Amino acid sequence: MTSRTDRRPVRLAGTLAATAALTVAATSCSAPGGGTDAKGSATGTAVVGIAYEPDSLSPLLGYGKDGNSKIFDGLLTHDEKLDLQPALATELPEISEDGRTYTFQLREGVTFTDGKPFTARDVVFTYETILDPKTNNASRTELDAVESVEAKGDHTVVFHLKYPYAPFAERTVLPIAPAHIAGEQDVNTGDFTTKPIGTGPYELVGWSKGEKLTFKANPDYWGGAPKIKNFTMAIIKDDDVRATRLRSGDLDGAILPPNLAKAFKDGNTATYAAKSFDYRVVTLPTGNKVTGDTDIRRALDLAVDREAMVDSILDGAGKPAYGPVPTDSPWFTEGTERAHDLKAAADLLDEAGWKKGKDGVRAKDGVRAAFPLWYLSGDKLRQDHALSYASDAKKLGVEVKVQAGTWEVIQPRMPKDAVLAGGGSPADPDFDQYTLLKSSLAGDGFNNMAHYDNPAVDKALEKGRRSGEHTDRQAAYDTVQRELVKNPGYTFLTHIDHVYVVDKRFGTLTTQVEPHDHGLASGPWWNVEDWKPAK
Amino acid sequence: MADLALPTAPGRVARTARTWKLRISATLVAGFVLAVLLVPPLVGLDEQAVDLGAKLLPPSLDHPFGTDDVGRDLLLRCVYGLRVSLLVGVVAALVATVLGTAVGAAAGALGGWTDRLVMRCVDAFSSVPHLLLGIFIVALFRPGVWPVVVSVGLTHWVSTARIVRAEILSLRARPYIDAAVSGGASRLRLARRHLIPGVLPQAGLAAVLMIPHAIWHESALSFLGLGLPTHQASLGTLVQSARGTLLAGDWWPTLFPGLFIIVPTLAIAGLAGAWRERLNPRRRSELML
Amino acid sequence: MNKARPGLPWIPMARMTGRRLLFAVPVLLAVTFAVFAVADASPFDPVKAYAGTAGLTASQENLDQLRANLGVDQPLAVRWWEWITGALTGDLGHSAVMRQPVADVIAERIGWSVLLAALAFVVAVLAGTTLGVLAARRRGSLVDRAVTSLAYTLEAAPTFWLGLLAVWLFALQLGWLPAGGLTDTGSTTVTAGQLTTHVILPAAVLAASQLPWFALYVRQGVGDALDEDPVRGARARGLAEHTVLLGHALRSGLLPVLTLIGSRVPELITGALLVETVFSWPGIAAATVQAATAVDFPLLAATTVLATAAVLLGNLVADLLYGLADPRVGFDG
Repeated sequence: MTSRTDRRPVRLAGTLAATAALTVAATSCSAPGGGTDAKGSATGTAVVGIAYEPDSLSPLLGYGKDGNSKIFDGLLTHDEKLDLQPALATELPEISEDGRTYTFQLREGVTFTDGKPFTARDVVFTYETILDPKTNNASRTELDAVESVEAKGDHTVVFHLKYPYAPFAERTVLPIAPAHIAGEQDVNTGDFTTKPIGTGPYELVGWSKGEKLTFKANPDYWGGAPKIKNFTMAIIKDDDVRATRLRSGDLDGAILPPNLAKAFKDGNTATYAAKSFDYRVVTLPTGNKVTGDTDIRRALDLAVDREAMVDSILDGAGKPAYGPVPTDSPWFTEGTERAHDLKAAADLLDEAGWKKGKDGVRAKDGVRAAFPLWYLSGDKLRQDHALSYASDAKKLGVEVKVQAGTWEVIQPRMPKDAVLAGGGSPADPDFDQYTLLKSSLAGDGFNNMAHYDNPAVDKALEKGRRSGEHTDRQAAYDTVQRELVKNPGYTFLTHIDHVYVVDKRFGTLTTQVEPHDHGLASGPWWNVEDWKPAK
Repeated sequence: MADLALPTAPGRVARTARTWKLRISATLVAGFVLAVLLVPPLVGLDEQAVDLGAKLLPPSLDHPFGTDDVGRDLLLRCVYGLRVSLLVGVVAALVATVLGTAVGAAAGALGGWTDRLVMRCVDAFSSVPHLLLGIFIVALFRPGVWPVVVSVGLTHWVSTARIVRAEILSLRARPYIDAAVSGGASRLRLARRHLIPGVLPQAGLAAVLMIPHAIWHESALSFLGLGLPTHQASLGTLVQSARGTLLAGDWWPTLFPGLFIIVPTLAIAGLAGAWRERLNPRRRSELML
Repeated sequence: MNKARPGLPWIPMARMTGRRLLFAVPVLLAVTFAVFAVADASPFDPVKAYAGTAGLTASQENLDQLRANLGVDQPLAVRWWEWITGALTGDLGHSAVMRQPVADVIAERIGWSVLLAALAFVVAVLAGTTLGVLAARRRGSLVDRAVTSLAYTLEAAPTFWLGLLAVWLFALQLGWLPAGGLTDTGSTTVTAGQLTTHVILPAAVLAASQLPWFALYVRQGVGDALDEDPVRGARARGLAEHTVLLGHALRSGLLPVLTLIGSRVPELITGALLVETVFSWPGIAAATVQAATAVDFPLLAATTVLATAAVLLGNLVADLLYGLADPRVGFDG
């Protein structure tokens, strides 16, 4: 036995341990210092807290594919209203009659931050590399329609498509990488993935993983040098920590859950609620005898109290969702809203033969109306949605057992168990509806998680994707939304606003309509290069 | 966390103080146990059911502890949370005690090389900080109740093993054991008749003392997001999910679950302290932390 | 034999240190092996962890290739041995959550953890000793009761809960101190001024979690010493109260506590895990928790081993001091 287990009183000096500890501390804290406080002048500096960290900063691996990459530019870009505007292209593309050829004229005199000129070669390189199966780009299928990319001289690029793909121009906000740098290295593991060089308004100064990304303004930016000279994105995954650090003045702005944003009302900060296509939805898998039943699906659709969820869980920062398209979008089909009507839902189930048993849970043909509902462990917003859904279902006589898990645990169960999922993409209705609802994509990764299978919807999705006429497309997506009322294979709950709190000294800022995956540069700092801080 | 059995001062004043401490502790423990056993079936509510209309109400007569951010009564949540935490604590303490008693008894009774080897292993095992080992186990097997129980049980048997071994060694040194051996008693009989009954009270005391530890560890693991799933009420998950509301200025969802950890812990420790004094009167003034 | 001890007994101390080092080797080997064995028995799949979210959509062929690349298709013992040999050459593997080599993660962070822990420790020892002595002077007095009640309450209070309340009070309500981090985020270097303001709250909370043990132990030790005959004698001879207290009782009552400081390392690590997380202190303990949340096995394994080594070292220091303090015990542990 060692002596530390029997503790008899003893006598003699013993401050040695404490002294030793102090010595170690003294040497360790002198190590990393050296520089002076580099916080700089407050006006030209902005520090924002974000919840997300990219895996890579290479556009070839998917970074910034939806625009606002800060380090890079795309051929086109989105303005505040999400309308396409030229960026590295001088104007919007010329589209051929059959909708299969897109021609872009490129801006001249643009250079990468290493001083080398930007040409059509870089565009071809970027798209061809992404389309190469050896490149680990998870979003390659988004460019599925592209057959080939061709450079005509230094300043013209032509895209040839396999089939007419109406929303193709929306995909060309994708950032352009320099062929002379990225082309010289392994695309998946090379230096470029962490030390990117682009044409964008900012240059990366440093990326301290898990902590922050530091940018400085590109003085030679073709769109004019940004006023915010130093821009830092602090990566803080924990909402509470982010709010605390914003409160303590450490951050100038941050994305926050609505309930935490509510606490910032002190006059120095402004709160921005960005509208989004970001929905929370319960998947009702076709493979489960309860959730696959159309009557159950419709009853649940009526029984959920979406307004209460918006008011309480989202603190009003959001809207009830009846389908992937938000109610204020021009693509929304008027009249597909469903009012909260518990009685109608109960009547529907009574008529369909789902009778209440002794335990208050309905059953039909020996099948109990009960199913598990999974949410991603640690995601409070999804947890609260799931709990509310379960409470509403319980009033109807449907037992929903809420369970938490990691994706590794949840994914194998998706064909049978309900999941509280999220998604949504504003640029075009095809982007999220096709992958969410197309029967051929059932169970393909996170596509069509509910294994939804509706021939009428399949047909309409295909039509909406290929048709070039807006009215035809509108009609197709109306069909999809009406079919979702008749057979709601997903219970859509809410579209959530993304809430940001920013210091007022940056003036009045704007936000775009945001997708579910709001990467680095969303929120009020989507156009940080245009901010004009007060002196 | 060190064990909390209350040390006491000698003297008559101290003795009355001790009696009172014991009474209060016992009442509190009985109250908590009754609440935990009776309230859930009496109320008969689905503890997860939310009431979005009643979110974040401050403490009032209707809701003595207020409500949480999805409108659940916090007093009820605390009772449910204590129930889960107590259950985890008791089961984990049992696991640890059985394991510790087995190892300690084996080492003490067999003696010699086995003893040295076993105790070296015990030393090695206790070199890994408890919470870290717990985190390691729970991270790999989560989420759920069982990984927490197993990890707390597996990390806390060491002290019991040491206590039991020491007790066996002291028992073996007593004359009546020698007499029994020379009288031809078998090893098994010796163990059954003399050693095990002598050790059981110490093991039982160790088990009771371990319950607050186990609760503390469960709450720490859950707070770190590694223990129970966050929608399931336990004292740790309650504090964890209250973090956001604390920032918004609503203090009650953080304060009360914390008190629900502290008060039962002190009460159990008070009870165990009295038991230990009865068991080891000689060591009354010796502090065992 | 050596009646006039002319200095420290270096040779027995060195022998003890050597023996402990010899003991540490099998312990660390066993701990690392256990770590691998537990990971092997768990449902955790390193390949999926490596592939991340992309792994959910990756093809089986792709995953198999990854499995071979990572060497995860090897048997448990082989993987363990490779890790050990790698670790001895300084290659601890790559941390997925920090996206850095594990060795770099540790090198960058360990200084900050040591700083925080050391500060907290000093504060806990000083404050704990003061409180303990105050309480011991007159047992059963109001001061004594206040100190013991405070100590027990602090001991029972979860460290993370204390941390949250401290953030709420000092950072949010009063606005005196920053709520977390090492420096203001906008600053790219660490300055002494920023460090000082940022370290106060976490160090105070960590100290508060360690303080009860010291306070209660000192109270007991000094209190017992005051009851001993020599001290009573001194009191009876009419020596001033503070002379009795400082000259006799403190020396005999306090020193054993100080020698046991080393054995508090496990509790300190436990406290640091929680405090660093609450205050987002960029230390090794916070990294451990992040590694656990993301099941970042290489980092988790390395920090577990590191913590074990720290505990063994703490025990050695405790036993050396103990042996020095009480020659009857010696250095044969």
